[in-house]
Amino acid sequence: MFDVPVLRTANSTQSDAGLETSLEVAPDVPWITLVWNDPVNLMSYVSYVFRSYFGFPKEEAERLMLQVHENGRAVVATGPREEMERHTEAMHEFGLWATVAKASDG
Amino acid sequence: MRVSRSGDRIVLEFADGESGVLRSLVDQYIEVVGTDAGADPAHARMFPAAYRDDDAAAEEFTRYTRAGLVDRKAANAAQVSLALDEETVRLTADAAARWLPLLTDLRLVIADRLGIRIDDDEIPDTPAGEVYSWLGHLQESIIMLLDDE
Repeated sequence: MFDVPVLRTANSTQSDAGLETSLEVAPDVPWITLVWNDPVNLMSYVSYVFRSYFGFPKEEAERLMLQVHENGRAVVATGPREEMERHTEAMHEFGLWATVAKASDG
Repeated sequence: MRVSRSGDRIVLEFADGESGVLRSLVDQYIEVVGTDAGADPAHARMFPAAYRDDDAAAEEFTRYTRAGLVDRKAANAAQVSLALDEETVRLTADAAARWLPLLTDLRLVIADRLGIRIDDDEIPDTPAGEVYSWLGHLQESIIMLLDDE
């Protein structure tokens, strides 16, 4: 009868330890949000989205927009994975083509 | 169509029938955005895969975000549709800003129908092509007025 709670305690201790390990590793592997060129979105709109959503100054927004236009993509944010997914979701709401990747894949 | 500023309002004055055409497009859009995932080829543009090389992660992202995105896009479009009851629409800057993502999404759907896939694809000289360009002009005009603030 006493085995069950004992096992549970042991299990949760183990998984907590595993969680700590993964949390320690996570900051070494940053993630990025990429915005890709598409034939539909106007340059003025892409720049507008970068300013209004990310709060970039006009020059930075224009620079990233031109990078999207000329290089086909630009990294618009770097950080934890969940945050990069939130940005990507927001970009999709704006109608931009955005993806998430590991920073090393950018 | 004339887009101008009057005090703190952005004023859209539509020419004969334009607001009706736009409203019809917006109402069709609400149907397209709400159909089953993948049922419309334009969905791939409105809801692009969030991971290019990881199908499982892309699917999980879709599972967590798709319903909310559909709801917000449809609710926003419904607001715009209501405003299009009139030939002249007066919008606050915030309301005008909410038109911009919808105008992009309308163009994404029309681009899908017209086969516009890369920058060099020409906009066809057809009624749908005209509407596509007209929507871009409307979007650009609103952005210019918002930038004037």
